[in-house]
Amino acid sequence: MNGHPQFEEDLDLYALGALDSEEARELESHLEACPVCTQKLEEARGRAALLALAAPPQEVPRRVKDRLLKQIAGRRAEQRPAQRAVFWQWAAPALAALSLVLAVWAVALKTENNELYRQVRELEGKQQTMRAELTRARTVLELLTAPDTAKVTLVAGEAHPAPQGKVFYHPQKGLLFYAANLPVLPSGKTYQLWLVPTQGNPISAGIFQTDPHGNGEVLLPQLPVGVAAKAFAVTMEPAGGVPQPTGPKVLVGLST
Amino acid sequence: MIREGFEMENSGTLQSRSANSRAHDGDAALMRRIASGDETALAAVYHRYAKLVYSVALRVLRNADVAEEVLQDIFYQLWRSASAFNPSRGSLSGWLLVCARNRAISRLRGRAVEPTSELREQTAVLRMNLEDDLTRAQQISRVRAALEKLQPAQRQALELAYFEGLTHTEIARQTGEPLGTVKTRLRAAVELLKRALNP
Repeated sequence: MNGHPQFEEDLDLYALGALDSEEARELESHLEACPVCTQKLEEARGRAALLALAAPPQEVPRRVKDRLLKQIAGRRAEQRPAQRAVFWQWAAPALAALSLVLAVWAVALKTENNELYRQVRELEGKQQTMRAELTRARTVLELLTAPDTAKVTLVAGEAHPAPQGKVFYHPQKGLLFYAANLPVLPSGKTYQLWLVPTQGNPISAGIFQTDPHGNGEVLLPQLPVGVAAKAFAVTMEPAGGVPQPTGPKVLVGLST
Repeated sequence: MIREGFEMENSGTLQSRSANSRAHDGDAALMRRIASGDETALAAVYHRYAKLVYSVALRVLRNADVAEEVLQDIFYQLWRSASAFNPSRGSLSGWLLVCARNRAISRLRGRAVEPTSELREQTAVLRMNLEDDLTRAQQISRVRAALEKLQPAQRQALELAYFEGLTHTEIARQTGEPLGTVKTRLRAAVELLKRALNP
C-alpha cells in the first residue's frame, strides 16, 4: 500500500514543523484515520530529528555539570526529610485517628463484653429459677397424684359461707394446702397452718394471708421429713406466726 | 562514592574512570541505573550526549546562558523521570535530540515546554541508536554530508524550519520570497535529504 501522496509529501514538512497551522490541522485529521501515513510520519520525524546532528558542535561548559550535580544533590537532601515529613504529616494524624478508633472500639467491645457477661449471668439465674420451678412443679404433681397422699377437707363450724380448707400431705413429699371463705384477718394477725403429729406438739406448716375472697394457700412448707400426721389445723395468730398455736382454731381436719 | 563520576571528571580528566567503565553500557541499562539513583550512570549518559544536546540548544537559541539552562533542565528531567524511559518506544538519543530542539524552540518563542518533550511521551522518532560513539560520529558526518549536497537556499530553508521553528509562511516572510517558492524548495530539500539518509 502506497498511502496518500497528497498528504505524504507534506509529512516531512509537518515533521519539521514547517506547515502553517491550517495545513497542519488538515493533515492531523487525516492522520487520525490513516495508520499508513502515521507510520510514514514516524519515519519523517526520525529524519527531521537527525537534522539536530547538523548543529555546529559546541563544547559544554563545565559549570553546567556542576550545577546539575548541585541540583540533584539539593533535591536528594530536601527530598528525603521531605518525604519523611510528608509521610508523617499524613501518617501521624492517620495513626492518631486510628488509635482513637481502636480505643473507642475497645471501649465498645468491653461494654459489649460486660453486657454479654451480664446476660449470661442473667440467663444462668433464670435457668436456675426455671429448674427450681420445674422441680417444684414435678413435686407438686407427684404429691397430687401419689395414691398414698392424704386428701383432707377442713370445714368450719357454723360460719357462712363456710370456710373450707384442703390439705394434701405426704410425709416424704411434703404438703399442699388450699383454703377458701376464710374470714378477713384483723390487722396484726396472720393465719398459721399446723400439722398435728400422731405424737408430740403441733408443727408449724407455715403462715399465710388471704386474698379479698378469703382464699389462701401454703405450698410445700418446710417440714420435718417422715412425720405421721394425725390432724391439720389453721389458727389465727399474731403477725409473723408463733412456735405453738395460741389463737382460735379456724379450720381443723383429721388425717384419715 | 556515588559522586565519583562527576568529581573525577571535574578534577580535569576528559573522561572519568567511572564514566570510562560505563562507556560500553547501553542507554537502556544506564537509564535503569539512573532510575535507581545511580549518579555515575547519569554521568555516563551526560558524557555521551551533553555535547549534542548543548550544540542543538545553542544553535537554536544563540545564547549560551539559555542553552546551558536547557541542557541542565533536560538532564535534570532525565534524572527525575528515568523510570519512565521505555527503550521499546524509541532510543534515548532520539528523545534527547527531539527534546533539545523542542525545548530550545519553546524558550526561543517564549512558549511553555510542549508535553511531547516529556520522557514518557517519547515516540520512535529515531530508530537509530546513537549510544555507540562510532555510530554517533558516523551519523553526524552522514547528516552533514547530506546537507552539504543541498543548494545553499535549500539548506537555509531547512535550517530555518528546524532550528528556528519557522513555518514556510514565516520563512517566506523572513526571506522575502514567494510562499510557493519556499514550499517547493523545502520539499526538494527534504526529498534530497531522505535519499541521502536512506540509501
